[in-house]
Amino acid sequence: MTSRRIALASLVLLGSASALGAGRTRYGGEVRVAHAGPPEVGEPALADTPLEATLLGLLSRPVCGVTPEGEIHPALARELSRPTPQVTRVTLPNAATATALARAWTRLSSTDGASPYRALLYPLRGEGRQVTASGASLELALSFPWPDLERALCHPALAAPVASSTPGPFLSAGRGALDAQLGWPRGRPYLDRLLLTATDERGLARLWSTRQVQVELGVGSETDNAPAGALLYATYLAFSPRRLPTDFRQAVESSIDREDLTRLFVHGPAVPMPHLLPPALMPQPPKPRPAAPASGPARTVTLVYDAALDDQRAVAERIQVKLHERGYTVALEPLARSALRARWAKGDFELMLHAVLLPPVPGPALAVVLDAGGRKDLLGVELPAIGALSDAAARDARVRERALALAASLPLLPLYAQGLGLRAMPEVGGLVMDAQGLPMLDGAFLLPTEGAGTGGRP
Amino acid sequence: MSRAWVVAPLLLSLTAHAAPRSSTDETVSAVQRLSRELASDVRALPAEAPVALYFSGGSAELRRAVGSVLAARLAAEGLAPSVVDAPSAEAAESVARAQGARTLVRLTLEVEAGALRARGDALGTWVNFWSGRALTRPARPSGALVESVDADAEVLALASVGTPTTTPPTGGPRGVRLLGATLVRLEQPVAALAAGDLDGDGRDEVAVLTEDTVSVFAADGQLLARRELGSLPFSNATTREPFGALAVLSGPPRLAAWSTRRAQGEVLVLDKGRSTLRAVGTLDSAPLGPVERGGFVPGQTAFQAEVRLGDGRPVTLLAPFTTSSFAPPRMLFVHADGTGSLYSRVGATPTRLGGLGAGSALGDLDGDGTPELLTTSALLQPSPDVLRVHALNGGGDPTVHEPLWQGPLPTGRALFVVTANLDGDERREVIVGLLKPDGTGELFLLRQGAP
Repeated sequence: MTSRRIALASLVLLGSASALGAGRTRYGGEVRVAHAGPPEVGEPALADTPLEATLLGLLSRPVCGVTPEGEIHPALARELSRPTPQVTRVTLPNAATATALARAWTRLSSTDGASPYRALLYPLRGEGRQVTASGASLELALSFPWPDLERALCHPALAAPVASSTPGPFLSAGRGALDAQLGWPRGRPYLDRLLLTATDERGLARLWSTRQVQVELGVGSETDNAPAGALLYATYLAFSPRRLPTDFRQAVESSIDREDLTRLFVHGPAVPMPHLLPPALMPQPPKPRPAAPASGPARTVTLVYDAALDDQRAVAERIQVKLHERGYTVALEPLARSALRARWAKGDFELMLHAVLLPPVPGPALAVVLDAGGRKDLLGVELPAIGALSDAAARDARVRERALALAASLPLLPLYAQGLGLRAMPEVGGLVMDAQGLPMLDGAFLLPTEGAGTGGRP
Repeated sequence: MSRAWVVAPLLLSLTAHAAPRSSTDETVSAVQRLSRELASDVRALPAEAPVALYFSGGSAELRRAVGSVLAARLAAEGLAPSVVDAPSAEAAESVARAQGARTLVRLTLEVEAGALRARGDALGTWVNFWSGRALTRPARPSGALVESVDADAEVLALASVGTPTTTPPTGGPRGVRLLGATLVRLEQPVAALAAGDLDGDGRDEVAVLTEDTVSVFAADGQLLARRELGSLPFSNATTREPFGALAVLSGPPRLAAWSTRRAQGEVLVLDKGRSTLRAVGTLDSAPLGPVERGGFVPGQTAFQAEVRLGDGRPVTLLAPFTTSSFAPPRMLFVHADGTGSLYSRVGATPTRLGGLGAGSALGDLDGDGTPELLTTSALLQPSPDVLRVHALNGGGDPTVHEPLWQGPLPTGRALFVVTANLDGDERREVIVGLLKPDGTGELFLLRQGAP
């Protein structure tokens, strides 16, 4: 499948049968969008909730996107190619964009980056720390065969920081207004303008009921015309094996009911995640819950979590209650995401709720999970063996097999996976999710009403 | 209720709707594929030699072609076939019996819904001596035969041969009845479509522009040449959907192509001997027709509202347009809202049309010297898309009158329509460029069928 097939296929599937427009999607108009996220998003590696990644994606995109069928299409890049099997060439719109992207990736891969998404660049020579631009191109040399590199590069965390030199589908016009970017390499969005409103849950409900917005992001109840995306935002309970008893995993597994978490404590769409990878990537059934370990001496531990996420607060409180039954007194400590990642990078925590947006491809997803679990050392062992398999299905099967085998050795307890809830008014067409489970608002358009074409005939 | 639902039952009864497909082997002709399936069915009856074949339906040429190929296949099976001629299927039974056949296969052929179909039966012709005058039938062989394969350009050529070309007494347009078949399947969606004689043989070739390639196909769908546009610089204002302009230029046969993905277009010459398209120049404006030029609306699947004619005169339209078609002196422009501007000649006040699809064109389908208006659905997502053919007699809006012909198209959005002279006769064929639901493209050929 080629660069625009997914978008075109989506247009064919999602257009309204009654809308007139000479058979072509019409340009123009503005759509009002409300969301329950921050008014501004930060750097890509930290804007990794589905909602924040969506908002970031309006202004800055990674070099490519992945279709739900697993095919790659250029996004920020003009082209992706492999001049040799061990080199991927990314051709960008201009040299400034290439330089900005090279800098961003080098920073992400450095120890200062403190991000598990650095694992996406691990197969590059120097683990991605030596990416340099050559004119408008990036030549990415692999240190071992890794056929999924391009799919990994499509991850939102690898988008360039928002800047004038790195075009996105939209351009900020101030006060929440985003104008269509004419020079976007994938073609300008159909809409002329998006008007964004940041609010809270009550605000979303009010704006929707009064029809003041046409699209809402980050909602639990979706409308019929809203597409469902993959649930790849995975939340784990990370723990420090050095600071906790050996039966801690058993204590958690025996006390925490993942179904309870997704049903009662976190926003939908969400599913329990019994294995290292989300069910979308690893559909194996859950293992039976173990019995509670023999009670030991009472312990006091601290659980750090992301202060910006209500879901994590609710889950942290639930864990606090359930672990109390196992003799643990859990103190809760909310932290800003950047501080949380810094603590993770230093290994400075006892318990941590750690959420990552996993790529929709098992191999790169396992790489991120291994790094998130503090086992970066395993990347050099596991990834070359996976990348040596040229068949994609065989690679994916191998990843699932290794994820099962490695689960017990990683200080990570998978909890649940989430996606982005979205609802849209009927007049908004063309809303589709990418393989990452994020809506592509640049493909949205306003449906002309029936009869807009004078003298229209069926 | 949408008007699409009102006409849907009517359209379903017409020809050329989405095809059921029983065979995917595209390297073998449709006649060969159908004959292979039928031979397999006859052998499985099992048939008793000699086998008589009787055909009805379709054109005489199509019947003879299928008869010859099927007979050859049955002969290879040792079934000693013969093709019988009879005034009716019932009469064929006695003809076959008189010729000494032990099995009679009676088939009706039709080209419908983009498929070549054969339906009929097989029966034994042996009559028991003790039956006397009663023409009893034996228990075996017997069976029903139904086979269908995707039609191809060869089938359309066979089905259309022999169509009467008499002009109706009123002097109005001749009858139009189109049969359709897939001409080419494309990995990429179509960005622009054109037809013209690029090799000087008096018959048109079909040129297709996709996002990054230009391809030229012969009338039978064979690829003559393809050129990648990768050497051209990228455009700074591309379109989300593949879009562009493609035209066969007047004078020496040349093809002008410009994809919105690229910052400039190219003028190409077909070298049929080497199967190449050679660049002989660049373009500074979008080629809309043999001599007509325009400009893209940056980033949109539309052209600017000003067109420059061959003599340099500008024509200013009411609005940007997505489609243009030229059949001198007439000009048609379809705007983004599904309206159209039809000029009877340059300088005349345009007739405003409504309900036009992006797949619209002017072309003489019936050979009466006056072009017809062809248009697809104005709906964004028609199911199925429909091609209508309207007569352009007199002034006024031709779409307010009943169409000369209409029929549904295969699944997908029909965004491109051109007419072409593929066989050298007076009646032009129709080529529709479809965007398929899986994001691929297809060229669907329609030509006059047997009445």
